[in-house]
Amino acid sequence: MSAMLLNKEKWSDFVGMLAGKNLWAPRESDEGLRFVPVAEGEVPTLDYNNTRVPPKEAVFPQTETLFKFKVGGKDLEEPRPDQDAVLLGVRPCDARAMHIIDELFSWDEDDPYYLKRREKTVLVGLACNEPGLNCFCTSVGGGPVSTEGLDLLMVDLGEKYLLEEVTEKGSALIDEVKELLEEADDNSSKQKDKLADEAAGKIKRSIETEGIPAGLPGLWEDELWQRVSASCIGCGTCTFLCPTCHCFDIQDETEGFEARRCRMWDSCMFREYTLHTSGHNPRPTRSERTRNRINHKYSYYVDKFEVIACVGCGRCINLCPVNIDILDILGQVKEEI
Amino acid sequence: MDLDKLRKTAAEVVAREDVRYLLGWKKGTFGYRIAPGFVEDAESAAELIFSPLCTANLATYLTLTEKPPLPRGQEPDDRKVAVMVKGCDSRAVTQLLIEKGIERESVVIIGCPCPGVVDHELLAEKYPETEETAELKWSDKGFLLLQNGEETEIARDELLAEKCRLCRYPNPVVSDIMVGEPVETWEPDDDQGVAEVEGKNAEVRWEYWQEQFSNCLRCYSCRNVCPLCYCEDCILDRLNPTWIYRSVNFSENTAFNLARAFHLAGRCIECGECERVCPANIPLGKLNRKLAREVREKYGFEPGVDPEAEPFQASYKPDDPEEFIL
Repeated sequence: MSAMLLNKEKWSDFVGMLAGKNLWAPRESDEGLRFVPVAEGEVPTLDYNNTRVPPKEAVFPQTETLFKFKVGGKDLEEPRPDQDAVLLGVRPCDARAMHIIDELFSWDEDDPYYLKRREKTVLVGLACNEPGLNCFCTSVGGGPVSTEGLDLLMVDLGEKYLLEEVTEKGSALIDEVKELLEEADDNSSKQKDKLADEAAGKIKRSIETEGIPAGLPGLWEDELWQRVSASCIGCGTCTFLCPTCHCFDIQDETEGFEARRCRMWDSCMFREYTLHTSGHNPRPTRSERTRNRINHKYSYYVDKFEVIACVGCGRCINLCPVNIDILDILGQVKEEI
Repeated sequence: MDLDKLRKTAAEVVAREDVRYLLGWKKGTFGYRIAPGFVEDAESAAELIFSPLCTANLATYLTLTEKPPLPRGQEPDDRKVAVMVKGCDSRAVTQLLIEKGIERESVVIIGCPCPGVVDHELLAEKYPETEETAELKWSDKGFLLLQNGEETEIARDELLAEKCRLCRYPNPVVSDIMVGEPVETWEPDDDQGVAEVEGKNAEVRWEYWQEQFSNCLRCYSCRNVCPLCYCEDCILDRLNPTWIYRSVNFSENTAFNLARAFHLAGRCIECGECERVCPANIPLGKLNRKLAREVREKYGFEPGVDPEAEPFQASYKPDDPEEFIL
């Protein structure tokens, strides 16, 4: 796969050429930074650390209508996703997260909604030159220039962006904007490697994950879970903002005679998550729920798909209202194993 | 604030046989973060701190504590819970007492007079957070930041949290033990946040809230962190009937946010926790303070001040003038 250069002076032309493709990019507003469809004439800047809500919402929306029907009727209207999309400026951790949950959504049954969107979406990544305070991607198999899940990787070289093709979808996109690009030379790839090394060196937080997946089952009844969850308030911040969390609930909702079956993000930190009709709750307190969150990422997922379902983006650490820190929990897990 | 005295007091309290644990503030895992601490023995009391970083209202844990079914033969631990409170936090405890959400005998209240805490987001924006845990102290000028071996003086006005600018009760209104001398109260600012929204016409106001509520992720961190959102059976969790659909859209989000605001009218003690924890930055404080002011001005009731008061929405007065009812 080849590499190209885009002079930043041509950035608005580049965006303009992609504008017709349902282009998404991060935008700063009252709520913070979030991936949103780029408005007509808008030129997004990629000068940011990372968005609060991960871009998973572009392929796995928080609420999705599976089908609509009329109360008492028999006809189903099934809106299937079929729109192309280009996501601009996806951080390698978030792309890797999608790559990881692709496994789940194509496991026993193919999930047509998620997979269709994934197929129709081109992920244009942006390598991290300045990792955030709680980034730890390098501890869990990722890195500032990781390309897993991406179709195209952009590296900010200062005056220019280096564009590296990763998949055929990425190459096709490059072809469409070729007139704006110039061939990359050896120097740019050296510059990229240097930036990547520097970025990796700026990552301050880490965890040695070896032994955790194998050790977790043995800590099932450990008092540790009580300890690390004591201050948990049971909100959905850590899971909703997690790029790999993928649990959803399915509900029927009506408005007059109009009805819809939809699915929406669910959170294992919620009290009624997998609450049985009988009233029995297999995870009755926050300690079992916290245990589930950690085990799902660092044990069950590893058993099933041989990959840790955490990409080290640091969102759950940054945004937990009560400083529950997954690296602190994992550190304690390691001590107990 | 004399930390030695605070820790000594805490150690004495947790050592008491009738006390199960103490809720206090501890240093967090990095930067400016503070972790709520559950102190069970006198030794761990040495980890406690009280500083301008201690925004968290620990009163929320008085009602958040879970009571899972116990193994046969095991008795529940009904000993008292000790809780460290700032002025605003003490109002939450008082309001819980007014509502009989907790019993007076079930808590030991350790009052910490509070000169005002910082706006964490502002602090991190102006003085970038690092992986090392930093300290912030109250000083004559305002705050003193100790970070990576360096000391920085910061003016009080630069970082003071909005809730503290508006605060009228920096000293705990109820306590069993006070740590330190009461602080001098200050003239609260006018509530510019609310005034700004009120100054807009209805249409613009509606657009403003429409945008804010559309951002809501329904993570319920506002509800869960709130010391006064403690219904055992919250309408949001109800599925049969489903009062508020799980779909995350403007309509349902608005129903949720307004239901919560109204349920808190005359109950919210303005600790600002909901707004602090919201990952979508919804200015929930404006909504709650607006309703608090309505209740204060129209009904002369202020929540969480007098433990003997009758709960505003659950009391009946035969001589109520009812002037505003058409």
